Amino acid sequence: MDERSILDHQFVTAAYVVTWVIQLGYLAYLGLKWRAEKRKARSGNPR
Amino acid sequence: MKKLAVGFYAMIVVALMIWGFYQAMYVAPDDAMQGYISHIIYYHVPAASLSFLFFAVSLIGSIGYLSFRRSNPERAQAYDAWALAGAEVGVVYCTVCLTTGPLWGRRAWGIWWTWDARLTTTLVLWLIYVSYLLLRRFAAGPQVQTLAAVLGIFGAVDVPIVYMSNRWWRTQHPAPVFGGNGDSGMAPSMKHVLLWNMLSWLAWGILILGLRYRTEREHQKNAHQEAMEALEAKI
Repeated sequence: MDERSILDHQFVTAAYVVTWVIQLGYLAYLGLKWRAEKRKARSGNPR
Repeated sequence: MKKLAVGFYAMIVVALMIWGFYQAMYVAPDDAMQGYISHIIYYHVPAASLSFLFFAVSLIGSIGYLSFRRSNPERAQAYDAWALAGAEVGVVYCTVCLTTGPLWGRRAWGIWWTWDARLTTTLVLWLIYVSYLLLRRFAAGPQVQTLAAVLGIFGAVDVPIVYMSNRWWRTQHPAPVFGGNGDSGMAPSMKHVLLWNMLSWLAWGILILGLRYRTEREHQKNAHQEAMEALEAKI
């Protein structure tokens, strides 16, 4: 593998990792938000 | 039953995501001109295209909210939840587009960023919807939803401008692959990989859009309950 191929591979990997970090990070944020709303609803006192 | 259906759908989404990843990394051939770096397009192009779709959902939600806010407040709230969910998921996809694009550009062009029409209009689109989300997060009062709906409608005007930017102006960004001039197009071996990834990211997007919508509806219910309790306490 020459240097160009190695760099290309690293950049493609970085792009895929960044995509998954953003998407899974957002999913985690949604999960936390959903749990907080459910807790509020269950407590009957939304404050 | 509903939980089971959502779980089943989530399993299909995961299977599609794994299949799309496998196709993009191991099946798709390298582009003759660009080499291995071309594999970024299997994540970059679906992110860009699908962000348009989610901003369209936000547009429909915003129009629906403004149309029904007086005649049918309950329906208007549902539209508002779609508007917010569409904007948020659209921003997530647009963020992916704006981060994978420069990674590709650095290798293909030798630069991370250039102020050409496609890149600039995409950045403006992202900024408009980030401001929409900030408005919803930090502003208070009865007019917030109306103001956000107006901003959502104006923000959507940028979507066709982004789409047409590399047709109207000469840009450094590559010419359109689909729907371009006679020379546009893609090798079938690459096209089917792109379509699989389009499908898998669409399925993923629908899943998180639905989750965001349900969360917002729950939030609206809690806020309504809170307002009713405050009123009763005063009486």
